[in-house]
Amino acid sequence: MALDTERQKIQHLLRRAGWGYSASELKEYLALGLQGSIDRLLTPESVDDSATEALVAGLTADPYQNRAALLTAWHLRIVSTKRPLLERMTYFWHDHFANSIDTVGSPAFMQVQNDLFRARAFGRFDEMLTAVSRDPAMMVFLDNRLNVRSAPNENYARELMELHTLGEGNVYTEKDIQEAARALTGWRITLESLTKEQLEAKRFPLPTGVVLVPSRFDSGRKTFLGITGNLNDQDIIRRLASLPETAEFVGAKLWRYFAVPDPTPEMLDRTTKAYFDSNYSMREVVRTILTSEEMYSDEAYRWRIKSPVEFVLGFLRSLGMVSATGRAISHTKAMNQVLYDPPGPQGWSKSGAGWIASSTMLARANFAYDVTRLDGPQGQVVDAPALLRTLGLTGSAGQIVDGLADLLVGGDLDGENRQTLIDYLGGETHFNFAEAQRAGTLHGVLYLMLCMPLAHLA
Amino acid sequence: MPNDETFFDRPIDRRSFIKGGMAFVSAATAMPPAFLRATFDDNSIPIAEVTTEAAAVIGRRVLVVLQMAGGNDGLNTVIPLNDRGYFSARPVLAQNPESTLPLEGGLAFNSVMTGMKRLWDERRMAVILGVGYPNPNRSHFRAMDIWHTASTTDVTGNGWIGRLMDTTAHEKDSAWRVANVGNELPRSLFADSVFVPTLSSIPSYVLSTDRRFPKDSYRRLQTFAQLNARYAQDLAIQAEYGGSLAFVSQTGFEAYQSTVTLQTEAKSYEAKAIYPNNPLAQAFKTAAALIMSRLGTGVVYITTGGFDTHSGQIAGQARLLQTVSDAVGTFYADLAAQDAADDVSTVMWTEFGRRVKENGSGGTDHGTATPMFVVGGGVTPGFYGDQPSTTSTDSNGDLKYTTDFRSVYASIIEQRFGVDATDVLGQSYRTLPLFA
Repeated sequence: MALDTERQKIQHLLRRAGWGYSASELKEYLALGLQGSIDRLLTPESVDDSATEALVAGLTADPYQNRAALLTAWHLRIVSTKRPLLERMTYFWHDHFANSIDTVGSPAFMQVQNDLFRARAFGRFDEMLTAVSRDPAMMVFLDNRLNVRSAPNENYARELMELHTLGEGNVYTEKDIQEAARALTGWRITLESLTKEQLEAKRFPLPTGVVLVPSRFDSGRKTFLGITGNLNDQDIIRRLASLPETAEFVGAKLWRYFAVPDPTPEMLDRTTKAYFDSNYSMREVVRTILTSEEMYSDEAYRWRIKSPVEFVLGFLRSLGMVSATGRAISHTKAMNQVLYDPPGPQGWSKSGAGWIASSTMLARANFAYDVTRLDGPQGQVVDAPALLRTLGLTGSAGQIVDGLADLLVGGDLDGENRQTLIDYLGGETHFNFAEAQRAGTLHGVLYLMLCMPLAHLA
Repeated sequence: MPNDETFFDRPIDRRSFIKGGMAFVSAATAMPPAFLRATFDDNSIPIAEVTTEAAAVIGRRVLVVLQMAGGNDGLNTVIPLNDRGYFSARPVLAQNPESTLPLEGGLAFNSVMTGMKRLWDERRMAVILGVGYPNPNRSHFRAMDIWHTASTTDVTGNGWIGRLMDTTAHEKDSAWRVANVGNELPRSLFADSVFVPTLSSIPSYVLSTDRRFPKDSYRRLQTFAQLNARYAQDLAIQAEYGGSLAFVSQTGFEAYQSTVTLQTEAKSYEAKAIYPNNPLAQAFKTAAALIMSRLGTGVVYITTGGFDTHSGQIAGQARLLQTVSDAVGTFYADLAAQDAADDVSTVMWTEFGRRVKENGSGGTDHGTATPMFVVGGGVTPGFYGDQPSTTSTDSNGDLKYTTDFRSVYASIIEQRFGVDATDVLGQSYRTLPLFA
């Protein structure tokens, strides 16, 4: 199967560089064309997203102070945003520099880190690394706040190379980890001071910055990946960002995230060139991928398995169910993903295969059941007959199946499965909208569309 | 990275299982069968007579595997009381010998491990000291894959348990022959011919339906099964759409089949011990429920994490070890009361131990050798292997291993499953007399 038409390519682009699409959103992007769509996705600053900001601002609890609000705020952004690629990149960095609130403890630190990922999503990679190395959540999660001259802690230095820049065992040695750990010593987080009332209210203090404490910094001579001297954190990060292996490691990850499972060396060369030509600009690396032929190749099409967050929030977005976002937390949890709580510093499954187990397939079906229930609380479940009327899908069983497939799985059902769904609706000749509404099969066909194998693929 | 590109590395060839399932789908009638009617009733689990197929495999030995992810500090788990090197390397972290739980030979359990100490006293536990492998890797993810695959060179293949299951697969095997408690399949269980259901709990292992509409619910589930079975089965469709579609379809279909089996064939189970209310203890309770359901389960895999104690280790590791020790202790108390403790062996592993010398953050960095524990059915109790020296270490200041972890695997494979370990592990390893 191939992506032949511009419509199919834009649908594919919106599944990968966005979070799926509603009918009206698809229409907007189709009007822009493929190139116009890519440009718009890559320049979020040119798109007004005040409606999403208002939704987040309207939360009754403070995301910096409350764990559920922290999650809901991001879920709302993903379901509602007009800047879908910005949230995609924020999610990419959240996974790349994976920190868990279970270890970090403070929603304030996690929201500050999330703000950082969003603000620097398309920026320079070396600047991102520096910001992350001094980010309070990261300093807690990988212990760099405890890394001192008298007794270095290697945790951050190791993952900086293994997970953030070079890849496991690539170029560096155990000795480089120890030397980098020494260069990264001495940093402390500073916090706002709290009033007595705030202390009593158990406010999570906001970080105000970081400071280098000279007595804790190891100012001795170090040798790291071929450079020697009184190295500090900037020297380590500049050195790592300047290595082609870093460009390849991060480039390969982005190729897999957006496009194909196995980028070739030639493809990696292209993103590496974009990385160095643009002074480490991630926007240009991503542009290289989204405008490549491979992005729309047979190999790219539907190989990638959606994460639970993509699956749940993407369908809420397609179905226009911003008001049901509150239920997303328990659903993605049952599918084994909670934002801000990745399983470890390596982040979540990259190919998506790790998301799929029998328990999580049942959880995905049960999410579909939950949002398509008959007579559920208003705003929490889809009103299937109303949705179909809005989409103009009332005429025949075939029209309903094709129309829902176009909205939810990018069309392209094979004939036999199309027929299976038509049969479920009572068959082409016997179909009657009012009768199907009474029997609950309009909800049922929506349920089945969300349970189809294709529904799990981006 | 763990679990990356996992299934792309292995052929998906489990069609024989699917074929049996299609027969089930097409044989279904217009009226909901008993198991579906039961699901309408608040998802309660129906009690059904065990089928002859499941009965045929009852009585088989069960292996429970507990993975303690993150790298458990072995030196503070089994404490070398007479080792001065231990005390001088760990001014902050060294355990007070007075409070430890002495075993024998100058070794003692961490003071929180009362549940495991009881199993030791009951002579139901073997402790294998200094377990590791040549040229140890200190990356969590690489090291885990080495333990999962039992290979230090190619860690992209199937798991050692998956290969064991492939080797011993039988056409009458239950769909629940191997079960993974959790939400993600560990590489240890990757297999070619055996489907491994994953469950977080038995009550949650259902497809929800609306009891007010039994006929529509039944048609929905039938259609669900058809939509998923089709892609899993049809090679032309697979070629056209690629491996991911076949993979999700197959898993979706197997989820459907295994929930049907669980709900129609599970024997009722009532815990005869009080399990603590934490995820790990509850996972062991689910394991006990599965075993006592008599579905022909031979392997149950459980994962717990958090052992990466770079800082705050005293309190952090104590909490973890106590949780593990209490969960295992409760599990065996339950099994003993059910008269099943001798059927079930449990093996506990972690991807590496930690550095001998503590760091400046009240923790320890990644290290090498660490003990393994084998509990329960058939085990010959006591110590195996030698406690590594804390002073004659490798160039990183890490322990030198004294027993290869594959010797433990080989002993389990040969002594509990009666299979030639070379067939599973690819080469032969010295076995230990772990099981009578």
